[in-house]
Amino acid sequence: MARLGRRLGLRLVFRSFLIQGSWNYRTMQGAGLGFSLIPYLSRLHRGKRDALNESLGRHSGFFNANPYLSTVAISAVARMENEGTDPEEIERFKRALVSPLGSLGDRLVWARWRPLCSLLGLLLFGLGAPWWVASGVFVVLYNAIPLWLRVWGLRLGWRRGRDVGRALMASPLRRLPDRLTIPLAIIGGALLPPVALALGGASSADPILVIGVALAFVVLGYWRPALMGRLAALGLLVGSLVFVVLENMVW
Amino acid sequence: MTLDTTSLLSLALLGGVLGLDTVSCLQAMVSRPLVAAPIAGYLLGDPMAGMSAGVLLELVSLNQLPIGANKTWDTAPASIAAAAVVAHSSGGAASLVISVGFGVLVGWIGSWTVHLMRHWTARLVAVDESQRPLAASSLSARHLTAMTVDFARAAGLTLTALLVAAPLYSGFESSDAAAGVAASLLVVICAGLALGSDVRMMAKGRTVVIAFTAGLLASAVLSLWLV
Repeated sequence: MARLGRRLGLRLVFRSFLIQGSWNYRTMQGAGLGFSLIPYLSRLHRGKRDALNESLGRHSGFFNANPYLSTVAISAVARMENEGTDPEEIERFKRALVSPLGSLGDRLVWARWRPLCSLLGLLLFGLGAPWWVASGVFVVLYNAIPLWLRVWGLRLGWRRGRDVGRALMASPLRRLPDRLTIPLAIIGGALLPPVALALGGASSADPILVIGVALAFVVLGYWRPALMGRLAALGLLVGSLVFVVLENMVW
Repeated sequence: MTLDTTSLLSLALLGGVLGLDTVSCLQAMVSRPLVAAPIAGYLLGDPMAGMSAGVLLELVSLNQLPIGANKTWDTAPASIAAAAVVAHSSGGAASLVISVGFGVLVGWIGSWTVHLMRHWTARLVAVDESQRPLAASSLSARHLTAMTVDFARAAGLTLTALLVAAPLYSGFESSDAAAGVAASLLVVICAGLALGSDVRMMAKGRTVVIAFTAGLLASAVLSLWLV
């Protein structure tokens, strides 16, 4: 098997940061995948412009994945191209990868890791940390996993090639989201009192009453998450309009 | 009060750069309200005001997951607009409600501009089903054009929001105590609803409720002791 090389690997990882640059409803990340593969395909088809253009055309069709796991597809496709795999088989392989890469990454990053880091940043601020500590901890902690996923994904895809789907299924990443559930809930609970007291600080109400009111609405939000999430945003929107009107007409 | 040209342009530039982070480039989450709002506040000389708007905006936007073709709020322009409004206010819960409410509106409008841009991008980059050959330079140019348009969209939206918000910069001057209490109550209610919704959207079940309660009790004891 040919080596990918550190420098080329870094270029592929770098381009994966831009894979969603032309995200659209028709091909989704398709053009981004083609863009990400340019360094590798240019080397593979050096001096053969027609072959390069033909392969770039093929890889700019439909594709989608969680962006942090896109390197799995980039390197696996690169390896299959290197092995001279039939283009139709590569196309079937890409389409088969869309679902596992999407569900694995979305469950891990969007549904667990990002909210966990975000709630932790909010908690730090609620407990009195300076704003730059809360924001900084969120950014640094959050990016540790996506950055690791990109590098890990590149190595896995290159090493396993067309068998990468099986490797993903056996990966410990599949169990990680469940393990993050308890910390997420604990931090969410711990966040309520400091945030309620900080945001409700203008009122001179009893702190226990403020926390109690917030908790009652947390229960409501937990009971009907989609509806109550929208109601929270709508409440702020309508509330802001009411205050602006009152400010100009009454007070 | 109005923003000077330098502040307007620097915030619009920030909106463009952070707007790229939302989907097009990096996705390091510096576009989240928890980061974008205090940075905007810092540029305006009041990061803590920006952070207060960022905290509430983060809570109400956290349950929007950028999965597939989901339309989610454009949080970078929303955070910057909210931070600009609250940084110019006289402080207080009513100013917070006005700023975050305006941020919600900007974020929602931003999601529609993204929606329109994605349709346009489809025509720009889509290769038809015959998968015709495509030169590397042409593909790169189309891809980078789409990113440039996204940058211009986010920067333009931020600039427009800052200009439209100018009447709000005078802030909420009322010293009416009832208004302050009503605004505080509204903020606590909305934060509670958002937090409950956020936790349930990410995880559910008896274990989650027990863990949430344990965290709540420990933190409540600590918070009340500190108060």
